[in-house]
Amino acid sequence: MIRSAKREVAKRLFSKEFNSSKYKVGGEGEKEAVYVLTPLGLRCNRVFIVGVLLEKEEVKPDSDMWRIRITDPMGSFLGFVSKFQPEALDSLADINPPEIVSVTAKAKLLERNDRSLPLLRPENINVSDFETRDYWVLETAKATLKRIKALEMGEDKIVLEKYNPNLEDFRKAVIDVLMKLREEQTVIEDESEEEEDKDLGFELDEEIIDLSDFEIGD
Amino acid sequence: MADDRFQAIVEEIYEKFKIYGVTRKEIESRLKLLLYEFKVPEEEAKKTIINGLRKNYNIAKSDLKPPLTKISEIEPNKWVSLKAKVIQLWEPNSPAIAQTGLIGDETGTARFVVWAKANKKRLEEGKCYLFERVVIDEFMGLKSVKVTSASEVKEINENIEVKEEKAEVEVVGALIAIQQNSGLLQSCKICGRVVKAGVCIEHGKVETNDILRTRCVLDDGERIYDLILNEDNIKALTGIGLKEARKLAEEHLDRGIVLLEIKKKLLGRYLRVQGELRFRSLTANKVEFYRPKILEEVEKVLREAEA
Repeated sequence: MIRSAKREVAKRLFSKEFNSSKYKVGGEGEKEAVYVLTPLGLRCNRVFIVGVLLEKEEVKPDSDMWRIRITDPMGSFLGFVSKFQPEALDSLADINPPEIVSVTAKAKLLERNDRSLPLLRPENINVSDFETRDYWVLETAKATLKRIKALEMGEDKIVLEKYNPNLEDFRKAVIDVLMKLREEQTVIEDESEEEEDKDLGFELDEEIIDLSDFEIGD
Repeated sequence: MADDRFQAIVEEIYEKFKIYGVTRKEIESRLKLLLYEFKVPEEEAKKTIINGLRKNYNIAKSDLKPPLTKISEIEPNKWVSLKAKVIQLWEPNSPAIAQTGLIGDETGTARFVVWAKANKKRLEEGKCYLFERVVIDEFMGLKSVKVTSASEVKEINENIEVKEEKAEVEVVGALIAIQQNSGLLQSCKICGRVVKAGVCIEHGKVETNDILRTRCVLDDGERIYDLILNEDNIKALTGIGLKEARKLAEEHLDRGIVLLEIKKKLLGRYLRVQGELRFRSLTANKVEFYRPKILEEVEKVLREAEA
């Protein structure tokens, strides 16, 4: 009747917050999960993201290990899908970038030589749509603002000590995203009768991630 | 002194000591003596009786715990002790909270909060605990049990049967996983259990009925719900009913195709579900894709953020 195994909640966060993460917490004792600690104090083990799949690339030929890049309005998430994520691997085969996708993933932090690389291990990937993406952005903006507020109250000493995050910077980034979303939504409402192709609404800028320090593998 | 005030004091002391076998009569006679014959102030009389009883029954000060109470009887602002099972843990939304969730006993369920400052060992879902010296408060009409640094929490080796409570709820969340045993399934004609390859674990090789069902996980970023969608729910969302599912399976000579189609249409989507919540299990009465008024919401959040 009551399952005692605890399932981790899928956290909502933007790539800017995720990619600035440098520390892990938890993992003490065999059963305890490992969490990526973000500069805004989120402890995440599982995340849910809706964004644009921009790249999928096999790391080595015939390795069945795929590097993927998914953007949100603030940047992009790096992810790896291999045979250890069979469901995600299956669906990825049928998806060709660029495409809006929803992703449920485990959050990981690779650590080598004083550097850390946050990345995603998707559990499932599915084609989504603009409406879902917009709602995800809204929901994620709300969750991020809530975290900023909590930190301003000075509640999370560990995060303040480890990261001393620039909260104004994060807040400004969230407000920018919301203003852009408002602009797009106003356009959509104006054009709703014509049903034209909607603009992507954010820049798909290239970003090169240097993986030379990291051995990517399981 | 009014009679009801007198009785209230007796009752208060009795609650503290009843587990040690103290009778009301004993307390009454001492209180009468101190109050009416020696004209001692009320508070002093109370203190004296409590100290006296502690000495008589050899009870250490730290052992004098609030009475064991059932969840259905807890009242705001009272200190109590409870034996309860941890039903569910939820995501704390403040670092001041170490753990939060739902506990229950045979009389009902209540929310609980363990403050980070209380510095307690972590509770686990499904285990039973004795919560001593916890305080009850009321938040938005719901009673909630607070574990503070003054409280003691011990795991107990007994199983508490929790009274099942159902609640009508409306939840908006993302459907982030679809679990095994979903899609076009076969159930045993005798017991209704799902069977694999026509063999029921109870009844062996049996005749079967086709059923369409999906077990999935709805996640709103703070809490998780095990959502069960029946044939009507699935049809309303995906257009695939039992008839369509059978046709799909026949065309592809594979029942698995039904689950794949359902996954394609539902995974990663936001749903609004009205249904019945039993602990974490949500049974949908009405379910639809969530279509929020994004522009309105964005403006609201912006106003708050810029304020």
